[in-house]
Formats: sequence, structure tokens, C-alpha cells
Amino acid sequence: MSASVGIDVGGTFTDLASVGADGRVEARKVLSTPSDQSVGVAASLAALGASGRSVARVAHGTTVVTNLLLERRGARVALCATAGASDLLELRRQDRASLYDLSADHPPPLVPPERVVAVHERRDPRGVTLALTAHEAERVADEIAEIAPEIVVVSLLHAYDDDAHERLLAEAIARRLPGVDVVCGAAVLPEIREYERTATAVAEGYARPRVATYLDHLSRRLAGGGYPAPEVMTSGGGMRTAAEAAVSAASLALSGPAGGVVGAAAVLRAASLDRALTIDIGGTSADAGLILDGEPLVEPGGAVAGVPIALPRVLVETVSAGGGSIAWVDDGGALRVGPRSAGAVPGPVAFGRGGTQPTVTDAHIVLGNLDATRLSGGVQLDVEGARRAVAALADTLGASQERTAEAIVLIADAEMARALRRVSVERGIDPRSCALVAFGGGGPLHACALAGLLGMRTILVPPHAGVLSALGLAIAPERRDAAVSVMRPAAEIDAAWFAHALPALADRAVGSRAAVRHTWHARVRYAGQGHELDVPCAPSDDGAELAARFTHVHRARYGFTLERPVEVVALRVAAMGEPVRVDFSAPLPAESTFTGPRVVTLADATMVVAAGWSARALPIGGWLLERA
Amino acid sequence: MTDVPFDPLDLAVMGHAVAMIAEEMGTVLERGALSPNIRERRDASSALFDAKGRMVAQAAHIPVHLGAMPESVRAVRARDPEPGDLFILNDPNHGGSHLPDLTMVEAIGHGGDVVGYASVRAHHADVGGMSPGSMPQGATELVQEGLILPPVRLARGAETNHDVLEIILSNVRTGAERRGDLAAQRGACAAGAAGWRALLEREGAARLDAATSALLDYAERRARARLREIGDVAGAAEDMLEGDGASDTPVPLRVALTVCDGALTLDFTGSSPRVRGNVNAPLAVTRSASLFVLRSLLDDDVPTNDGIARPIGIVTPDDCVLNAKWPSAVAAGNVETSQRVTDLLFAAFADAGVPVPAQGQGTMNNITFGGEGWTFYETLGGGQGASAKGPGPSAVHVGMSNTRNTPIESLERSYPIVIDEYAVRRGSGGAGANRGGDGIVRRYHVLERCTVTLLTERRARAPRGAMGGADALAGRNSLNGSPLPAKCRVELQAGDVVAIETPGGGGWGKR
Repeated sequence: MSASVGIDVGGTFTDLASVGADGRVEARKVLSTPSDQSVGVAASLAALGASGRSVARVAHGTTVVTNLLLERRGARVALCATAGASDLLELRRQDRASLYDLSADHPPPLVPPERVVAVHERRDPRGVTLALTAHEAERVADEIAEIAPEIVVVSLLHAYDDDAHERLLAEAIARRLPGVDVVCGAAVLPEIREYERTATAVAEGYARPRVATYLDHLSRRLAGGGYPAPEVMTSGGGMRTAAEAAVSAASLALSGPAGGVVGAAAVLRAASLDRALTIDIGGTSADAGLILDGEPLVEPGGAVAGVPIALPRVLVETVSAGGGSIAWVDDGGALRVGPRSAGAVPGPVAFGRGGTQPTVTDAHIVLGNLDATRLSGGVQLDVEGARRAVAALADTLGASQERTAEAIVLIADAEMARALRRVSVERGIDPRSCALVAFGGGGPLHACALAGLLGMRTILVPPHAGVLSALGLAIAPERRDAAVSVMRPAAEIDAAWFAHALPALADRAVGSRAAVRHTWHARVRYAGQGHELDVPCAPSDDGAELAARFTHVHRARYGFTLERPVEVVALRVAAMGEPVRVDFSAPLPAESTFTGPRVVTLADATMVVAAGWSARALPIGGWLLERA
Repeated sequence: MTDVPFDPLDLAVMGHAVAMIAEEMGTVLERGALSPNIRERRDASSALFDAKGRMVAQAAHIPVHLGAMPESVRAVRARDPEPGDLFILNDPNHGGSHLPDLTMVEAIGHGGDVVGYASVRAHHADVGGMSPGSMPQGATELVQEGLILPPVRLARGAETNHDVLEIILSNVRTGAERRGDLAAQRGACAAGAAGWRALLEREGAARLDAATSALLDYAERRARARLREIGDVAGAAEDMLEGDGASDTPVPLRVALTVCDGALTLDFTGSSPRVRGNVNAPLAVTRSASLFVLRSLLDDDVPTNDGIARPIGIVTPDDCVLNAKWPSAVAAGNVETSQRVTDLLFAAFADAGVPVPAQGQGTMNNITFGGEGWTFYETLGGGQGASAKGPGPSAVHVGMSNTRNTPIESLERSYPIVIDEYAVRRGSGGAGANRGGDGIVRRYHVLERCTVTLLTERRARAPRGAMGGADALAGRNSLNGSPLPAKCRVELQAGDVVAIETPGGGGWGKR
């Protein structure tokens, strides 16, 4: 009764990693079942062969919120917003969807205009200028009742500063519509900037009922097998219980990709490294991430399907270049790769599941980079099919089959390298100062080429490289977040405030459960700036220390500082539970060092060691590659 | 012609490589810039050029800079740059657009030669002149609009020319901010130079030259393919600017457009001679607007380089509002005349039977409030025209701008202004089989004495519908309910309310 099991549902494979009481890891990989993901989940548990009673925890990264946002299948939400500014979801930030495609529009808002109710109330930074009367609150509640929503979102101007009006209105609605959940903007994200705060709160309302249903369904299915209720990875890289996740739905929007970076960080620390870029290459896409000081970089921000969600998330930039990306020739005669992908079905030609167009995976097969007999997931490769498809494309281009295959791989490399550079350079990090952690089924295949393009000299191919996301899920600690608006000059904040406010916020995050570790971040900027930086802080700080730390972070990130007052916008806390310990020790292979070029088939991935690189097996399992 | 053959299989790889460098220049600039206009609104562009001055890549930020930066590099090349020289310029008569756009060009040195150019253009919040923000209402001469910089050397290698820097900083209102923004711009040029040198070392000079030719040819091929698909057609259009910036006299613009065998000729003969006010547009701005219109007809994935510009021929009379020369004032040419040129060209394409979208709001709605110790500038979106593909988007920037709005909560914390209303201007888009996008209503309630300066268009002549679609509603400016002109400067008292209603977009097709 002790294993922690992580299950990661990808576009092509469903991966499982189980960490036993002794810290030992077992991995399984089965094909995904896009029509009903839980079938693949059940299949992976069956493949593990562990009884329900031997599993203490099932943790998974879910794409359910991402998918319902993409497909617009969420709840019927009604929104209450301040009169005069109630069109904010339609107005967005006024930039257009595409610079040059003049017909392209943003996806419609999650709440259509006819389900938005204008509330006659107003405060500005100087105070309340139009009080919310009981009569107005009741009028609004009546109007909401007419709409007959599944859930109501209340988000009013300047509520980050004082949410009294939001609470009054929420109470009136709850009285009028008992049983209908009410989400308040300031409760979801107590931060300045009305559009992002409201959009995040609306995403919460839109996703919450469906997430609750999904988690309930999954819990029952697991219970049927004797397994415990699932825990869910948040965008921020921590675990939530099913019950908690059901009321923080917006924080699951980027749940899927976070696990990989968490797993990569654990392996990086085990290898005694602390700074890395990560690349997770799967069947349909590649995810680039950043690890600093041994921890995944967590930043607020990001958008899913055109909906900004301003909650903390593990930084991941996704590009549509993966093993299934289709190679084609455009009308200018150029060879192109992606963005279309053959996905899991039909998949690459070599998978023999009906694919006819050559993909990056097919190109690797032509180049001899993939061992035909040992691809994971039990797939029997159709090598001839892959060759035929690449040859057909080569004929169109008037090039040889090998040259065409090589070009396909190089193009995918170029796109992924761009994503890695963006992730690092935008944060003032030189990629050459980082190791590259390469995982997912395709990571170790592309690692040397990517490192070459970026001038990186060290590559870590982690143990369990093919299921690292699942491993990240299995070991991630529980994490709960809380935040509060501050909006004060740092100079006015004394040590007593820190000593009181930080533990008080921590209590809100933890509730009745105990956390083993807290991390606080202040969201800080120079007065007048439009962007904040996250600066770590502690109960023993004072405003001057925080300002000095901010100045340091600002210089590191942007290269300069300003002679301006420093302003604290908000305070956040993450309360972390006990992480699951992993025993990474592994016997060294017979040949534990060699130099490239060589192709090595790993347990769940294939590693290409290019000429000019040396490889060394690590005592934690996995390989360290270094440029000679 | 080059001697080294370039394998077309490598086109996409090289395309990514050069686009990555241009993109990184933009990132370094945004990361380092001080002013919100560059950091948040991203009113800046970066481009990379080869030794022959050919633009290899431009990062996509603001359309109005599209295709205008080669002029800057041309102006610099005329001054015999040495390897490592860093030039700065804004003179519209020598490679610039309007004065607030300060452009830096680094002559990339490698092995004692100039091997390419890295160029970064950014809109600075102030470059001196007769009013804060350097977009003065009523200017009639370029010298009134700010400090004029022909291409001058700001640095030779690592060695800064402090004399030039001091002259610049002594002529602007916000020196410290300019110093920071210029440092960021210089950093961005350096990043571009480093990236280009690394690519050169990896690929070799001959192969890089061949790759550049192939990339430009490729973009040209795709642009010409699109024009050939349009066929051999001709069309004409005319439109008006609502005042020249110094008076309310309309300023007529005309174009005759011909597409023939994959080439596009735009003849602006018949447009107004240059005018007294500041709506004059330098040829570089006219070219940007023309390039933008062609770019919008192409697929999104066509790389942005000099190749796209090759099929375009532009004819303007010598004395023309679209070919501004010394000593004309030009500040509004970049922000408003450029918008009207795109409208004009879309109308001419429509006249030629090409299915282009109906007209969008056709203005950037420039609004500046200034009071005791503070200035606040913003632009407002409006309706986009509908097209055969669907309705026009509402409440977005159209044409040559794409900057973001200022959140109400941020604005109210920073300035003595309360936003009484910020809403979609329902029904302002033109009716049609596909509706035009709606504009925006924004009501500013000022809490203390100040002035407001409006630089707006499409207040009298509404954006037109296409293929039988209805016109949109024109924009409207008012003070406490009484109309204000399209371009004006007004003194305000505490409690006054300025309302801006931006134009919608035209409808498409009969309902």
C-alpha cells in the first residue's frame, strides 16, 4: 500500500511511472485512446499489474480543461460586471488575432454578451463612488435568475483592492439561486488589471462544473479497480486532491506539460546540476521549459485557446514539431515540416495504422536512427512504408531519399531550437550556461543537434526518458496556492507586516492540512511599470530588503535598474507537501563510456550520440553527453 | 548570381535560423527597454540585412515598420560604414519615417569587413519639438516636431560617441528614459550582429550569401504566385484625409493599381501635393502601407524579407503628400496617412474585382492628455472590415497598428482620469451578408485641469462596405456631449468628460 503512480496521457502514448516505497521506478507505455482517455489510463494500470491495494496514490496530468476550452464545451456561465465596463471580455486588450490575416478573429468570449449583467456600483482608487445597494444586488440576482446559468461569476472593477461589493453581490445571488455556485474575481486572482482577472475567473466558472464531473467519473472508475481517488497536477507544478482540484479548475489549464519539467528537475538535481533547458518531444508537439536553481521556472501568465489565465504555471512553450509532424512541399517549392501532425491516429507511416504522409519519425527510420525492432509501445514498424513515403516526397523535390530525410529532421530541429532560445533569452538566460535535458520519445533523438544549434555543451538524457512526465507526476508534492493584493510602496512596508501577513497567507493556503515547506513570492515592479517580477520573500523580511532583492532580479533579467519607487502589487504563497523520494540508482551498463557517432536504444527511447560528443552512463541511470 | 549552389531542401532551416535572430533582437529590446511604449505596447521592430543591404528577416511587431527599414540601411550604406560602426537616425529624408521613430543600424564587422547590418527601430516617447510626445498638433515644419538626426555614428565598435549622445539627450524631455531605451536598442543590434556572425561562421560566407538569395527568391516567388493567381487586372480608387493637420481642408489621395504577370504597380498620381500640416508621409511610409496590403493577401507563413517587395512598383509625383520631402512636417503621416493609404489600396483592389475585406476603422485614434507634471497617450481600436471569409472583428487595431490598450484599473491609479465607459460601440459596423466589426466607446472623466489633443480620422467619411455591404458608422469625438473636431487641442476643467466613439468596419455583401 505504498506506490505512487503517475499517469500522463499524451496524444500518441499514455505513459505510466510507478515509484515504490523503496523509491524504485517502474514504467509502462501503452497507446493512447483519444476517444475515451480513461480506457488508456486503465490499460496502463493493467499493464503495471499492481493491485489497487498496493497503490497509495494515482497522480495524473489532465488535458480536460485544455480540451474543453479548445472545444468550447464548458458550462453556461453568467457574468456580473461593473456597469460601463461590462463588455471587457469582448474588448480584450484590443490587439488583433493575426497581424496580416485581416479576417482572423479571436475566439468568441466564454460568456456571450447576453449573459453579462451590468451592475450599478463603482469604486476607483480613491474609494467607493457608487455604493452597491441591497436593492441593486437583488435586481442583479433576479436578472441572473432569468438567465438560468449553471454557475455565476462576479468580477467588479478594482475588486483586487476591496472585494466588499463582490461578496455582497455573491451573497444576494446565493440567496436567490441556492445551489448555484458563485465565483468571485478577487477570490480567484486578487490582482490589478480587470481583463486578465475577469477572464481567469470566467475560465474558472466555465471549467469548474465539467472538471468536477470528470474527476468524479475518474474517481469511480479507479475505485472500481480498488485504486485511490486521483490527484491532479496543476499548471504550477504541484498536486491537488480531486476535491481541491474541482474548485480550482482554472489552475489545471496547463496541467499536462508541467509534469515533464517537474520530472526533469528531479533528475537534474540527482545528477548534481542546477540549471537547464528542457525539451520534451512527443508525437504531435515539442515542449520547451526552463529549470533554474534546480526548480522549474514558475511564472504567472499564459493563455489557452485564446483565454488568458493569469495564474502561476510552469513555463512551457509548445511548438508543433514532433515525431508525427508531416513533411510537405509548399507552393513556393520549399520543403516544410508541420504544423499538421499525423498524431496518434493514423500516426507516422511506419506505425502501419493508415498513415500515408511522411513524418519526422519516418525520416528518422530512413536515416537508421530508430531501431526497427524495438520501438516502445509494442509498435511493429513498417520500415518499407516509411521509405516509400519519404521517397515519394524526394521525387517531388528531385533529391535523394537520404538527403530528404535528413532535411526533414533538420527543419524540425530548427523549429525546436527557436522555442528553446525564446524560453531562455526572454528571461535573460544564455542557453550556453544551461544543460539540455532531453526526454519524451523523441528528445534523445534530437538532443545533440539542438545542443549544437544553441552552443550548449552538456546534455542530460534522464533515466526513464520516455516516461519522464509520468515520473514527474508520480513524485510531485502536493501544492496549494494563495494570493492577496498589496498595492503599496515597498518603502512603507515594515518587518511587522511581513511577520504577520506571510504566515497569515500561508494559513489560508494550507487550510487544515500540514505543509512541509512554504515559498512566498511578492509581485513587484517599479511604480508606473506595467509588468511585475516575482521576487522571493520570507516572514523575516522588510520592505527595504525586498526592494533591494527586486533591484537585483531586475538587473539580472533586464540589465538595468531605475531610480523609482518600488511597488508591491501582490503576495503569493505556495504551500508544498512532502515530495515522493525516488531511488535513481541504477547498475552501469557494460560499456559505460563511448564517443559518437552512435545510436543507442534505451528502454523507452532512442538516443543519437552525434560525432564530436562523448557519452557517459550515470550512476542514477541515464546518460550525460558532453561535447568533446 | 552566386557561385555556390543552394539546396532548396535547406530553405526552411535557413528561414528559421534568420527569423530566430531577428526575433531575438526584438526580445532583447523589449526586455531592456524602459518606456511602456516599447516594453508593453511593442511599438518597435527589428530586422537583419546582409552585406549587400538586402533585408533577410524582420520580426513581426508593428506593420507600419514593414519594408521601411531597408531605407535606413540604404541611408547608412551611403555613409561608408566601417565594421562595427553604429548609426542612429530618424530623418524622414534620410531613411527615417517620423521623428519619434529612432532607428539604429549596426554595420556588422567580421574579419575586418562589413558582413551585414542589424537594424532596430523603436518609437520613443519624446524626441523634443514643440509639444510633449513629439506628435504636435498644428506643426507645419519638420523642425517643430523634434530633433532631426540624419544617419550619424553613435559608436565605433565599443567606443561610444558621447558627443552625439549628449546632443540627443539634451534635446528631449525625458533624457533618462531615452538613455535606457537607446541602451536597449544598442543591445538588440549587438544581439543581431552576434547571431549573424555565428551563422556566418557556421555556414560560410558563400553559402550564407546563396541562402539569402534563395530566401528572398522564395518570398518573391510566393508573392508573385499570389499576384498571378489574381490575374491581370486594373483598378482605381480615391479617398480623403479629413484635414491636413493644420486646417480642416480635405486632402485627396488617389491610386491607379495594375496587376500584370505577377507584378503590382501602384501609381499615386493625382494625390494631393504636399500640405502645410503634418499628414505628409515620407515615401518609406507609403511603401510600408503598400507592402502591408500585399502582405495581407499572402499566407501567414510567407517569410518577411525583401523578396516580398520585389513585385511592387510605386509611382508618386515629385510634389506629393505621399512623398514628403524637407521641410514638410510628417508626424501624422506615419500614424494616420498610412492608414488611409491601406484603405485606398484595398479599395483599388476591390475595384479591380479582387475579393479584399471591406474598409476597417482606418484610424489609430491618437489621444493625448497632459496636465501638471503628467502626460498620458493612447490609441484606440475600432471595427475591422468584413470579408468573404466572415464578419469583421470588433474592437481591434486595424491596418498599420497593433498596440494593446491601457487597463482601466492601471490608468485610474496613475492619472487623474476616471473611465466612465469603455464599451463595444454596438451597431457601428456596417450591415451585410457578413457584418463589419464594431468600434469602441471610451469616455474619459478628468478630475483636474488639463488639455486633450486628438489626432483622429474617419470622423466625416465613414469606412465603406464592399460588394454591396453597408458603410460603417464614422467616428465621433465630443466634450460634455458637444462635438469636437477630428484633430484638435482643447483645455479641460475638472469634471469634463471627453467621449471618443471609434469607427466600425464596413460590411461585406448584400444581406
